[in-house]
Amino acid sequence: MLISWNWLKQYVALDVSAAELQRRLMFAGINIEGEKEVGGDLAIDLEITSNRPDCLGHLGIAREVAVLFDKELKIPAARPAEGKTPAAELTQVRIDCPDLCFRYIARVVRSVKVAPSPKWMTRRLETVGLTPINNVVDISNYVLLECSQPLHTFDYAGLEGHEIVVRRPKPGEKIEAIDHNTYELSPEMCVIADARRPVAIAGVMGGAATEIGPSTRDVLVESAEFDPVAIRSAARKLNLHSDSSYRFERRVDPEGVEWASRRCCELILELAGGELAAGSVDVGQQPPKREPITLRFSQLQRILGIEVPADEVRRILLALGNIEANEAADPHPSSLIPHPSSLTVIPPSWRRDLTREIDLVEEVGRIHGYEEIPEDVAVPMAPSAKRREDRVLEVIRGVLTAAGLDEALTLSTVDQQLSAAVSPWTTAEPLRSLTPVIRGADRLRRSLIPSLLAARRTNEALSNPEIELFETAKVYLPRPGKLPDEQWMLGITSGQDFLTVKGWIEAVADALKCPEPPTADDSDLSLFDPQQSCRLRLGGQVLGYVGRVLPEGLKEFDLRGSTTVAEIKLGVLVAAANLMPQYAPLPPFPSVTRDVNLVVAEPVRWSDLAATVRAHAGPFFEGLQYRDTFRDPKRLGAGKKSLLFTIDLRSKEGTLTSPQADAVRDQIVAACREKHGAELRAM
Amino acid sequence: MALADYLAELDALLIEATTAFAAAGDAAALESARVKYVGARSGKIKDLQKGLGRIDKADKPAAGKRFNEVKQQVEAALEAAVQSLVSPKAQVRQDRWFDPTVPGLRPRLGRLHPLTQTTEELKDIMGRLGFTVADGPEVEDAWHNFDALNIPIEHPARDPLDNFYLAAAANHSPLPPGEGSGVRAAIANNSPHPSPLPAGEGTYLLRSQTSTVQIRVMEKTPPPVRIISVGRVYRPDTADATHYPMFHQIEGLLVDRGITMAHLKSTLRLFARSAFADDVHIRFRPSFFPFTEPSVEVDMSWHGGWIEMGGAGMVDPHVLAAVGYDPEEVTGFAFGLGIERICARRHGVTDIREFYKNDVRFLHQF
Repeated sequence: MLISWNWLKQYVALDVSAAELQRRLMFAGINIEGEKEVGGDLAIDLEITSNRPDCLGHLGIAREVAVLFDKELKIPAARPAEGKTPAAELTQVRIDCPDLCFRYIARVVRSVKVAPSPKWMTRRLETVGLTPINNVVDISNYVLLECSQPLHTFDYAGLEGHEIVVRRPKPGEKIEAIDHNTYELSPEMCVIADARRPVAIAGVMGGAATEIGPSTRDVLVESAEFDPVAIRSAARKLNLHSDSSYRFERRVDPEGVEWASRRCCELILELAGGELAAGSVDVGQQPPKREPITLRFSQLQRILGIEVPADEVRRILLALGNIEANEAADPHPSSLIPHPSSLTVIPPSWRRDLTREIDLVEEVGRIHGYEEIPEDVAVPMAPSAKRREDRVLEVIRGVLTAAGLDEALTLSTVDQQLSAAVSPWTTAEPLRSLTPVIRGADRLRRSLIPSLLAARRTNEALSNPEIELFETAKVYLPRPGKLPDEQWMLGITSGQDFLTVKGWIEAVADALKCPEPPTADDSDLSLFDPQQSCRLRLGGQVLGYVGRVLPEGLKEFDLRGSTTVAEIKLGVLVAAANLMPQYAPLPPFPSVTRDVNLVVAEPVRWSDLAATVRAHAGPFFEGLQYRDTFRDPKRLGAGKKSLLFTIDLRSKEGTLTSPQADAVRDQIVAACREKHGAELRAM
Repeated sequence: MALADYLAELDALLIEATTAFAAAGDAAALESARVKYVGARSGKIKDLQKGLGRIDKADKPAAGKRFNEVKQQVEAALEAAVQSLVSPKAQVRQDRWFDPTVPGLRPRLGRLHPLTQTTEELKDIMGRLGFTVADGPEVEDAWHNFDALNIPIEHPARDPLDNFYLAAAANHSPLPPGEGSGVRAAIANNSPHPSPLPAGEGTYLLRSQTSTVQIRVMEKTPPPVRIISVGRVYRPDTADATHYPMFHQIEGLLVDRGITMAHLKSTLRLFARSAFADDVHIRFRPSFFPFTEPSVEVDMSWHGGWIEMGGAGMVDPHVLAAVGYDPEEVTGFAFGLGIERICARRHGVTDIREFYKNDVRFLHQF
């Protein structure tokens, strides 16, 4: 919000520089966003937090300044001279929707002379970025910027029946606003109407039909309080944000409604002449009584961590407009106790944010100054352990970066096409955000793979030669009637082949010392080449998928080069990881290895054969390494393959002899022959 | 003489002699080294040979064997040194050119995302300060994202345009079980029509702050609580150099008896000094957040000026009460920092959209 330096000084006699003022305001909670010279004045741009609508006018800022510099605040009396005719004889006001309009005050000034405003006023308005229009309109704007209460002035002659009805719009009603656009009104809004039609969108903008113009003679001045939520949604819906709606959305001072009305009329009489009708038509609720708040001085130390002298606490709170609660009502009048332990005040009407003791603690703290709070007190120590998830992730990141993968970080939502591309974990429709997080991306992802393939495309477009990416992030699996099941996943896209990517996952499981290695079976994902893909399991649970993307899939993602992708459930790894591996004694004898080459029928899988090998390897067995698979119909026969592997043998008692090792191998070969029809092939 | 001492002397001599021979730059230097170590009359080898006589009889074979090995190695080293003086290295290799400047075979190492690097470091620092990491869902209900955080139904922060509410199909069960606060009861009794929710507000949404995790932890844990929550948050913002609709926050929470704003300031200073390895200072500017009171913006001193760190404050008594804590018994502080901003400053990244492009060239810069 822009304020004028000269204008501000009307309310508080300041003998400090603008720079010093800005510094103090900043440390009292009003940030300075900038300043600008405007025709000999200084426009200062202030950032007002949403809890301080009272600071959306010069008087509110002046009040803060007066407290900060311990100066007197001069508020105009706003006591306009009234004529004889009662306002009630000139107009009636009816509120049909008390839930949307809490109070409405109308005053009438007759026989005004609409003309340009005097220089002093146009200068002030221009300093804060407003274009002067005519004296009456300028005055309503001026008072808004003075005390933050929005006002509206109607051409009294244009009001049919000379009456005001505050109501919801009737079906199909429209209004031409003073911006000369026509707006369709919807039933949840609030309008100001005369006997026949809406003449203003309440709290948002006035209508063209009753606009003050050169021919206006009589003026009806509106000062009201509207429901903030209704004003906000109307302004949003009509995309019509005004200084008025901004303030109503944040709530106005209920007692300021009357002051602003009088102040506006006072200035009209002063600058445009005319005669003010006696009194006002004041409809709706009177301002609610404020409840007293007690501040225990001990709370200041308890929250702020510093002592603030009681005198200073009293000075601050009273200067801010709080009134010390009636001592008669206080069983322990503070004047009778030499050292009162608390102070009870009634907050001012413009400070709706002050309702609790903690609110007063904050007021004292911010005015007294947070720089008084020490920054070197001892903070008690406390234990803090790294979470299992974090330790597992650390290992995974180490393995994957060592394998040459870069970590990507992609958006949690994807567009419909990406979302539909693959969904390994659920068949439920993805959750959708009402507005896309970014261009079309409104589906909460059910898999990381589409996002990573999109990142791959970005890199392909840049001709980046090596695109090896992984990401650890959540997927969101819908659950009827509940928050979604959010699962951490590891996603990979690589230019390497299937076995390499599968090997990375196996390496991760090994690095985590999972009790068993992952096992593989056929993948059921249509995105993958069935000859180069698998579903992995760990300890019986599905761990994830690895697969080479089929050409159709690549096309869908607009990819040129082939890629292998993987998606792994981190939760399964976290559960299986052994983060504190135990020592096993190491026999001091050398190992002996035997290479074996077995010819089997194609349907025999390595995992089956390996299980047989392990089961029959006897006590010397130490390890089994797959070497290769050969296919050669001429030499092995059709439908056959040979599997090459090495077994590691070691005895705990002594160095194994060759015959001992051969015996184990023969035992293995015999078992494989019996179980899988395997035949030993000469090495 | 003990065998061990003798063998040690032999080993020392071997190293000394071979080093001296290799270091001799010309024939004269080599000759004097030769005399010193293998001279027939008083060379050190000769001395040690004499020393054999003082070895216990039982150890003699072992000592003698080692003496012979060392003698041979010293003589071989001398021979090599003589050869290299006669025919310098370049000549020896004339037939097989060698270029030591050819790059080694480097493995391709991947890089962690800069945001991860920053996050992990911040988590580490907070861990050393006694804060344990806590995690929570990114899709939240209105209770955890708003009501429990003292953001009532009419608060503008709940506006549909300022949040990513989820489409209604997801909202079968609008409210979590638990004691009905005024607001919750009001919503429950009124749903679905007429709804007290602002138009367009659904019940689930992508969380707009990680403070939701604080609520979830406090609901389940009696005080004291000392946690940080880290993760993705979502707010509708047009993506530009300094905004992105998804970003990362790190939030700290400490609730215990006797916690004051002085603890907050001191903790943030310890954090900043650890993160920036500098003797920085902290200042508070009053601000407003619904879930803390007093609320402050936190600045830290940096190169003679001040830079913004984030928001902080004392946990609002309403929030403490909402999770069943007694605000008369415990107090607490909370603070929140944007990770993108910290990361961008550390690495000089001028456009935070870079963080989400995943250009491999970008990832490899860190």
